[in-house]
Amino acid sequence: MERILVGKHSLLNSSPRWLRAAAMGLLFAVAFAGTALGQDVPVSGTVTNAAGAPIAGVTVRVQGTDIRTNTDANGNYRITAPASATLTFAHVGSKPFTAGVGGRSRVDVTMTNVTYLEEVVVTAYTEQRRADITGAVSSANVDEAKKQTQASVLKALDVAVPGVTVQTSGSPGSRSTVRIRGISSFQNNDPLYVVDGTAVSDSYINFLNPEDIASIQVLKDASAASIYGSRASNGVVVIETIKNGPVGPPRATIRARTGVATPTKGYDDILLTSSLDYFQVLKQRYINAGQAVPTGVYGDPNNPSIPNYYYATPSSILTKDAFGRIVTVDASKYSYPNALIEPASAGTNWWKTVFGSAPVSDYNLDVRGGGEANAYAVSFNYFDQQGTAAYNDYRRGSVRVNTSFNRSKFNFGENIALSVARHYGGTGTFDDASGENGVLGKDILIQPIVSVYDVAGNFGGGKGVPGVNSSNPLKNAFDAKDNINKDNQVFGNVFAGLDITPAFSLKSRLGFNLQQNSFAGYSAITPQNNEASFSNSVFENNYQSTGWGWSNTARYLKTISKGSLDLLVGQEASAGTNRFLQGSIANLLNTGLDSRYVQDALGDPTTKNVFSFGGKNALMSFFGKAGLNYADKYVASFTLRKDGSSNLGPEHRWGTFPAVGLGWRISNESFLSNNRILSDVMLRYGWGITGNQNIPSGRIVSQFGGGRGDTFYDITGSTSSIQPGFRQASIGNPDLKWESNKSTNVGTDLSLFEGALNVVLDVYKRTTDNLLFDPRTPATAGIAAPPIVNIGKMQNKGFDFSVGHQASWWNATFNGSHYKNTILTIDGVQTFFYGPGGTRIGNPTINQLGQPIGAFFGFIADGFFRDAADVAAHATQDGAAPGRMKFRDVCCGPKGEMVPDGKIDNSDRTIIGSPHPKFTAGLDLGAHRGNWDASATIFGTYGNKIFENQMDFYVFQDFSSNVRKDLLANSWTPTNLNAKYPRLDITDSFSGAISSYYVKDGSYTRLRNMQVGYTLPSGARYLPGARVYVQGENLFTKTNYDGLDPAIPAGNNTGAAGDVRDQFLGVDVGVYPTNRIFSIGIVTSF
Amino acid sequence: MTTVSKKPLLRGAAVLILAIAFLYGCKDFLSNAAAPQGTLNQTTLANRAGVEGSLIAAYRTLDCTDQTENFGWGCAASNWVWGSVPGGDSYKGSDIGDQPNINDIEGYHWGSPLASDYLNGKWIIVYEGVVRANSTLRLLKQVLASSPSEFSSADAKAIAGEAIFLRAHYHFEAWRMWGNIPYYREDETDFRKANEDSSAVAVDLLKDLDSAIKLLPATPRNGDKGRASLWTAKAYKGRVQLYDHQYANAVTTFKAVVASNTYGLETSFDQVWTAFKSKMDGPETIFAFQASSKDGEPNAGNANWGERLNFPYSPSHFACCGFNPPSQNLVNAFRVDASGLPLSLSAPTTWNASDSDFKAGNLTPVDPRLDWTVARKFVPYKDWGLYDTTFVRDPANGGPYSPKKTIHEKASGAEATVGWQPQQQSSLHIHIYRYADLLLGLAEAEVETGDLAGALAIVNQIRARAGVTAQGCAAAADNNVAATYPQCAGDARLAVPINDPKITWAVYRINPYPSFPSQAYARAAVQTERRLELAAEGQRFFDLRRWGTVAAEINGFITGIGGGAEKNRRGFLAGAEAITARHRWYPIPAIQISLSQVAGQASLKQNAGW
Repeated sequence: MERILVGKHSLLNSSPRWLRAAAMGLLFAVAFAGTALGQDVPVSGTVTNAAGAPIAGVTVRVQGTDIRTNTDANGNYRITAPASATLTFAHVGSKPFTAGVGGRSRVDVTMTNVTYLEEVVVTAYTEQRRADITGAVSSANVDEAKKQTQASVLKALDVAVPGVTVQTSGSPGSRSTVRIRGISSFQNNDPLYVVDGTAVSDSYINFLNPEDIASIQVLKDASAASIYGSRASNGVVVIETIKNGPVGPPRATIRARTGVATPTKGYDDILLTSSLDYFQVLKQRYINAGQAVPTGVYGDPNNPSIPNYYYATPSSILTKDAFGRIVTVDASKYSYPNALIEPASAGTNWWKTVFGSAPVSDYNLDVRGGGEANAYAVSFNYFDQQGTAAYNDYRRGSVRVNTSFNRSKFNFGENIALSVARHYGGTGTFDDASGENGVLGKDILIQPIVSVYDVAGNFGGGKGVPGVNSSNPLKNAFDAKDNINKDNQVFGNVFAGLDITPAFSLKSRLGFNLQQNSFAGYSAITPQNNEASFSNSVFENNYQSTGWGWSNTARYLKTISKGSLDLLVGQEASAGTNRFLQGSIANLLNTGLDSRYVQDALGDPTTKNVFSFGGKNALMSFFGKAGLNYADKYVASFTLRKDGSSNLGPEHRWGTFPAVGLGWRISNESFLSNNRILSDVMLRYGWGITGNQNIPSGRIVSQFGGGRGDTFYDITGSTSSIQPGFRQASIGNPDLKWESNKSTNVGTDLSLFEGALNVVLDVYKRTTDNLLFDPRTPATAGIAAPPIVNIGKMQNKGFDFSVGHQASWWNATFNGSHYKNTILTIDGVQTFFYGPGGTRIGNPTINQLGQPIGAFFGFIADGFFRDAADVAAHATQDGAAPGRMKFRDVCCGPKGEMVPDGKIDNSDRTIIGSPHPKFTAGLDLGAHRGNWDASATIFGTYGNKIFENQMDFYVFQDFSSNVRKDLLANSWTPTNLNAKYPRLDITDSFSGAISSYYVKDGSYTRLRNMQVGYTLPSGARYLPGARVYVQGENLFTKTNYDGLDPAIPAGNNTGAAGDVRDQFLGVDVGVYPTNRIFSIGIVTSF
Repeated sequence: MTTVSKKPLLRGAAVLILAIAFLYGCKDFLSNAAAPQGTLNQTTLANRAGVEGSLIAAYRTLDCTDQTENFGWGCAASNWVWGSVPGGDSYKGSDIGDQPNINDIEGYHWGSPLASDYLNGKWIIVYEGVVRANSTLRLLKQVLASSPSEFSSADAKAIAGEAIFLRAHYHFEAWRMWGNIPYYREDETDFRKANEDSSAVAVDLLKDLDSAIKLLPATPRNGDKGRASLWTAKAYKGRVQLYDHQYANAVTTFKAVVASNTYGLETSFDQVWTAFKSKMDGPETIFAFQASSKDGEPNAGNANWGERLNFPYSPSHFACCGFNPPSQNLVNAFRVDASGLPLSLSAPTTWNASDSDFKAGNLTPVDPRLDWTVARKFVPYKDWGLYDTTFVRDPANGGPYSPKKTIHEKASGAEATVGWQPQQQSSLHIHIYRYADLLLGLAEAEVETGDLAGALAIVNQIRARAGVTAQGCAAAADNNVAATYPQCAGDARLAVPINDPKITWAVYRINPYPSFPSQAYARAAVQTERRLELAAEGQRFFDLRRWGTVAAEINGFITGIGGGAEKNRRGFLAGAEAITARHRWYPIPAIQISLSQVAGQASLKQNAGW
């Protein structure tokens, strides 16, 4: 273990130490300066409603800071604030209120009731009052989302917004797969993110410090999103950062949080950790198969024992026992890497060897303020989360500067973020890659007899243990500890606006996104493996992308006597280029960090390989929107957008995306006025079309190419030189056109009992047509990538709702959603195609007409054969025998009809489950008493299935992996007919076929976050007004899933037409488990 | 801001907006970003280099193309998955869970989803070969039409001949797998057409081969050893005739090839399967996959990718993966009687009785080809030292032996240096068709046409060559041969006379047949000779099928023949499906039948019984 600690220690002490020191130094400096800078005065007052009754539980906050308090049962509050500060009063059900302190010591406030329809939210290009929104737009509870200790705010979006699902792993800094209202296409289903008006396609959003976020709006239907027409078919997430602070002198706020993460569950909870227990399983497998039990490792099957060594280089072996096991060795003959000696272990707990607790810290400093004509918000963030897996670490530093200036009728400014992220560690930890040889794949299932270290203290391995082809997972992690993924990003925009008249304004915004990503990796030799490799290599790559978007809008907003008119016209152009360069070389002479470069002299020059590729795309758009409001009763909006895309055929480049929205604020009708139950009722209807052109560029023409390992050939028989060859790489389609997504949404916003209960309910249907994808062509057409065509059709139907209640000292919001995804058309001929992810046992997912995308596909497992009579009575099945899996005969009759035909074959495979949840729910709870506050967030998903592919290893023991603790006790025997597992049998290669046996209920309910905070009284001697808190994340999970973690991210899978991970959902190939994090934090302003 | 009047600003803003709209509204903004990056286009290739490159790509598919596409191992040039394993020459090997698709092929459960996956890999690659050959022909036609001076007429003819030959080869591969297949020529665009009856495919194959024979030069173009010549195509024509049971025609065709003296047998058997560059592509090579290593390919993808699993496991030098190990039945087949003739002919009820590990020191006389074909315990393993059964991944599953023919010699330097497990990758060329195969084909046809003397002469010619050398000590300082066999110290010879006194691990004996007393005897002798000579070369299953003896031989192999049964040796074979009429052809991959649908009707018809 010492080795690991040393390793981790050195990791901590490596390069960004200065960054950490700087961050801490800065925080302390500012903290101490704080007391000197502040000119705070105590302020108190009473909050009452229009009827004069006190309101309890109003959040009183010093604007732009985190200094806040709540009113007590009598509506009284006390807070310390700068004499020039502005206080904000917030209470669900009341209209937000602001009041300047203006040197007063008592500020009494009267709040009026509003529903949430009075909120103003930033949607597309403009701000809108909720009551004017006819589409499905949800606001995320940003304050709650920020409580999650994550590099990206996206990871908490599922609980914060109904209708949104997020798949993510416990790997720090990893991807968030966000899906809004189901899945609309066979590939590329990430929503569009719009950050401060600049669109970005990025599934991590790690450049954005969650603490900088002011609001997140999710545009869920076409009538809301079609203004972003071209890229909006998967929904739009509109994120606005905090732009200003309170008017007056700068206010600084420090937010610091530090904690410890541990995995929520480990494989050591599931798998054997004793070598002799493992042997008993092995033994039974051979005995049941009628074969001799191997004796080479455990000796006498009736009296098994742990050998001294399971492998030693022949020259070092001194004595062997009667079973040929090595008893004594001559350790002086040991030599790395060619002469190893591997001691046996009585039981290695591989999980604990690799996984453990890891620190996480998040430091923020922001300074915000402004005057009449300017506003600014500057922030600095340092986030460092070590993975719970060894040698895995994510660090980010970011700086944001948001400024805006008004001068006469002009306003201009910029929002810019610079972020630098470093991710250390091997593959399979960062991008949710599903590689089985990663730290989280099959290797972690290595047998307990394998030792972590050999006799000389080098990493041990499975060499000499029959069948083990896993690598030592700690060695995997160690070898990759210096693999570094660097992300440098500049993201932001500059803008200028002109208010020509009070009603008519112009705005121009230039957004940019400059990214530089590089990776440097190393593969070490693995002499201690059965499948030993003595060849090392380095590879590195560099990716640069430049994207920009320029939007120009004109808005006319006129309020007339009984209503308002809101007109917007605009134009937008965006373009991007990217370039990727990769190089590798093998057999480095010196493997030290300083020698890991791709240079002829450093390794074997004949192994050097370099290549590059790139991409380009451009979009051009024109759009307009009209909003009408009559008497605050009738609302209508019309949107039209025209987009041109470089990815599509010249004749079909331009697409038109209309949308209509209608709203009726029925509560403003006279017949409902003064209704005490229905305080506010809005009915909404929206219809619209959004588009999608997100496919690889250049697919309108056929592409030709080749590769050394694909088309090149040694025609001369030289044995070492090849001649170039070419083939068609892809088939072009000049007729590529826009994929369109029609959506209809009916919703209502309800405010009941004078705002005590707020309900938002939406029901929708979304149909994607002309779906862009690359249906498979017959092999007789060759392996060239099939043309991408507009042919599929997919539908999502569902509903989402949210119910909120605000009591005097507590509040609760419940979000729920449901979607049903159905494939309506594939290519007009095919009724199915398989998903992308092959596993060792075949392909478990299928896309079939009438079924959801990525359904599980295989045999139906009907328990185990009872006896020979049962075998005889059953349809003919390969390898049928008592105790083996029995598959159901479902097909086919002579004309392909679904009737049993007496044999189990290909045609008997059928849909055996869906990875899609039937219902997902989020619950936010909050309470406060005096200076104490508490909150909790619960997330649940129900009815989704998991294909537990890891069973191939820990039940069926593929590659002699470790097995489940209860495998021996719960396997079929003639006296245990209803066992959990089939009969142990080393010759049974049949029971493990893909079947419903692997399909498990993936439902779970998880306490995502629980936080208790205490706000120091304003009169406190130290840190007055500061809030300190303790929090726990993922403390509790209720699930029936018996694998590692039911929260399974969609593994990275890419097809010729893009990201196809949605076709491989819910397949458990070894996921980085969710972290349980305990942390403490402080927020203080001055 | 008072110094700036409002009107110019307003005007400026309007101008700016209009400018933007016009600038980006114009077509070029989108068109300029539309071109694919980093690819070639059809125009770039419409010239000599394009045509030649396209042809090179058509050759490349002789082995698994592009390992990243993950077609499994069923597209190996040697056909070990389809010819050797189901033919009883070898087992799948490794451990039971590894490549479970091959378990189903080995157990004759060819209707299973996993078998279908592997069959699909083979189908995809043979038709990719066809597509590449046809693309070459189309491109050639196009270039000849647009710039006739690009090629000399000889080159133009030869290129067309090579492409048509390759097209025939790939269709032949599909034909012997599935029988009833669709046949594609360069002018066809309907990729969902129906499959032909197997007899019609034979006609198409012979037609293409006749075209190729007319077009091809007598020696490979440019002297490139990998290219087909007129004689390659002619030899192949005989092969197709033999498979189609046109024995008289086959005799004529084969004899023409023999008479041309283009090919000959290697002088010594160790030079047939070798990685020494100087000995590869010798007189015996009619057509081979020209593997290359150290060619700059970062994963050694051109270095026998299809064979890479077929090496002994750890702790051998190769470290992986233990597939395709020779069967006990095959090892027993190398036993000879007192007169040096196959024991399986003279003792048909007992030759296969031994279940024990046939290891060094067992002095039962054997055909010397055994130790060029099968790695046995404590017998020198080419020049890698002694082979040991500790190298076997799971002896219960794969038996004690390992492949040998496709193992490169250490001294050859053919081993790759890059990729996953580079020690399993080498530039050893894989024979697709060698002269001994042709000669035995001629003998087979001669037996059927009644020329027993002709057949006898060929079989004895093969046996004479087989009797020239046996595995020698190949002792080197860095291997353990001399430690076990002290007489070997300093003797680095890889191949030695079969009676060399240094050989103490085996007794080799091989003699010519004095006569073929009957057609039946001759047939048995030719078939036995073919098994021994071409053992583990991916031919066995296809040979049995051609002979019509699959059911008898394979059912015997599993349940009992010659006094031994594989189901008792390898427990998993007890669950094998009995060979019936449906095993005449492999089933067409289910997914390809599905993809052939036109208006809801599949154009490809599944083979009978599947």
